[in-house]
Amino acid sequence: MALTDTRPETGTDTTSVAPSVVPSPLTIFGSGDHKAVGTFYVLAALVFGIAGWIATALASANTVGSSSFLSETAGTQVLQTSQIGLILLVIVPLFLGLATYIVPLQVGASTVAFPRAAAAAMWTWLLSSGVFVVASFIEGGFGGVRAKSVSLTLLALGGLIVALLLGTVCVLTTAITLRTPGMTLDRVPMFTFSMLVGGAIWMLTLPVLFANLLLIWVDHRYGGGTVFGASESQFGQVSWITHQPQIYAFLIPGLGIVADVVATLTGARLGKRNLLLTAIGAFGVLSVGAWAQAAIYPSFSEDLVWQAMGLLVLLPLLLLLGGIAAAFKDGKPSLKSPLGLAVVSIVLTLLGVFAGALLVITPLELRMTNFFANGQAILVLGAALAAGAAGIGYWGPKMTGGHLADGIGKLNVLVMLGGGILGGVSLCVVGFATRFSGLSGAQDTLVVISVAGSALFAIGCLLVILGLGSGARKGAPEAGNDAWGTGQTLEWACPSPPPTGNFGDLAVVRSPEPLLDEEA
Amino acid sequence: MTAHVLPPAPPVQRPRVLVVGSAFAAAASFMVFIGLFGIYFTARSDVIGSGSIWLPEGSTIPLQQPNTMFITLIMTVVTMQWAVSAISKNDRVNAYLAMGLTLMLGIATIVMTTYLWTLMELDIDSGLQGVLIYTITGAHTVMLVLAMVFVALMGLRALGGQFTARQHDGITAAAVYWYAMVAVYALIWISIYITK
Repeated sequence: MALTDTRPETGTDTTSVAPSVVPSPLTIFGSGDHKAVGTFYVLAALVFGIAGWIATALASANTVGSSSFLSETAGTQVLQTSQIGLILLVIVPLFLGLATYIVPLQVGASTVAFPRAAAAAMWTWLLSSGVFVVASFIEGGFGGVRAKSVSLTLLALGGLIVALLLGTVCVLTTAITLRTPGMTLDRVPMFTFSMLVGGAIWMLTLPVLFANLLLIWVDHRYGGGTVFGASESQFGQVSWITHQPQIYAFLIPGLGIVADVVATLTGARLGKRNLLLTAIGAFGVLSVGAWAQAAIYPSFSEDLVWQAMGLLVLLPLLLLLGGIAAAFKDGKPSLKSPLGLAVVSIVLTLLGVFAGALLVITPLELRMTNFFANGQAILVLGAALAAGAAGIGYWGPKMTGGHLADGIGKLNVLVMLGGGILGGVSLCVVGFATRFSGLSGAQDTLVVISVAGSALFAIGCLLVILGLGSGARKGAPEAGNDAWGTGQTLEWACPSPPPTGNFGDLAVVRSPEPLLDEEA
Repeated sequence: MTAHVLPPAPPVQRPRVLVVGSAFAAAASFMVFIGLFGIYFTARSDVIGSGSIWLPEGSTIPLQQPNTMFITLIMTVVTMQWAVSAISKNDRVNAYLAMGLTLMLGIATIVMTTYLWTLMELDIDSGLQGVLIYTITGAHTVMLVLAMVFVALMGLRALGGQFTARQHDGITAAAVYWYAMVAVYALIWISIYITK
């Protein structure tokens, strides 16, 4: 089957497929199975997550005190590489991996659209990520001193973006075209809907980042490097993806994960669902930040639209959280680790978006240094990571076939919460130091606390990998079809892990919670 | 004896996976140019605002070649739609002819673009203008090549007998991407060549 092959008119006969088999790690090579591809995305993103958060901790530690252990150039490059890396090597692929695995199951499809393209995207992303890391080490990176390494960094980032966009096209096309009969767009599970919104925003904004990189590369390689390719201005042209509002775009799928986890683990249907879907859509619209590029629009932070977006984005978030809180009230929360991680994600999201709202208020002068914005970025990325961890804890039994060790997950609840509070809030407090002279003396202490927070996130990534491993180990309690016993959406109707083709015959879907309808 | 006429077959109920996927890919490609044009217009506005003229002294961009390319690409819209229309009527000969013509006109556009580059007297290292103009027109040429590969691939599949009047998503999808490429050229024609 070619990359561009269309789905056959007749559906795959899923009733005669081989029984469920846990794929060996070796089967990933050459596989177009969305479950293998998704699992590999997730594992690789978590490994990069450990490295990325350690790099963030190093970059912060380098600013403590008067003597730094990295040269000024190296320190700046580690900071910039970790900021871009946490988004393109960790958060986006983590969500994309989960989506590649889960979205076809949630919409009742036998596979992801363009399975080989999805596999090609994953391998291209992995190769580009490796090249990006290596190029950054050999004096590449933005503004690096070795010209060829800088070119390699830019090409690797271009490859990363193309790969992530290709993977996103596969997921979006699955959600649009391969839904099972009766599953209208307003009936798709929250995670699938949030991937639709988030993926659409990525499709609109990541190509703009590609355009920035293209200009930098052409000027650096062929134009003499005096304009876009000038060493000191390279990162400034792409840094908009690490700031608000764009950074919220990488959090959107996390909102859907949190909603799905809360609905299932409280055993309640989400009320006023269409309103919640609208809230996710509005959050997405308010996170389009490709226009707020300091390099071409230096005064964007004085723009009323930018300030309004920073404030208004709180509204859909509060609406969504209201719906989630109602589920807690109406249902019986099961105190499992995915629910705890979902709550951590909610807390960090609220803190991050609230910090973003403060950031746009000019009289507070929080934009005078980078501390507050960096602290806010850590909160938002931490919220996304916690949501990803919640998703892995929640769908882990589906992915591995066995229940995950809940103790590891519960430990991770504390680790992620600590990471967010220590890593993000402390830097936000340093940001206030410019206004309150009493805090300026505590700057070094607060930055050290932030270092500890970033290190905790690295540990959190490791714990997620260990948790996933606990589900795959021999002797893990079998998950069955519905690992939680209160599953509402279609992924809980197939075996764990799902066999080739995922489902047999599915009944026509008549509500957003088809499994609850079946029970009734 | 009464002749019984069977009712027409119902429309095929199948997901248009490739068409939707291609539309997303076309949208992403389009957004690359939106990003490039955002920077182009900002830079041009700054240069003109400072009292200078946009193109460096001595540089010229003739209009004959861009106009010819625009007309050529408009013709490819017709030929591509001809291909879609022909295959939807199971007229394979016309579909092959239309796709072949589209590819030939695409090659002509690439030749014309490279010829224009030799005429412009604008070096890529001449500063802001050179980098922006060559990046945008070069990226469009890459998009044109991708669209041609897509059309050629679908043409080969059509030659292999894969598409029918009831299932011709591949050619429709290639047409969607092709139209996006032509729309991008329309932007380039107005922004870079006409309003220079």
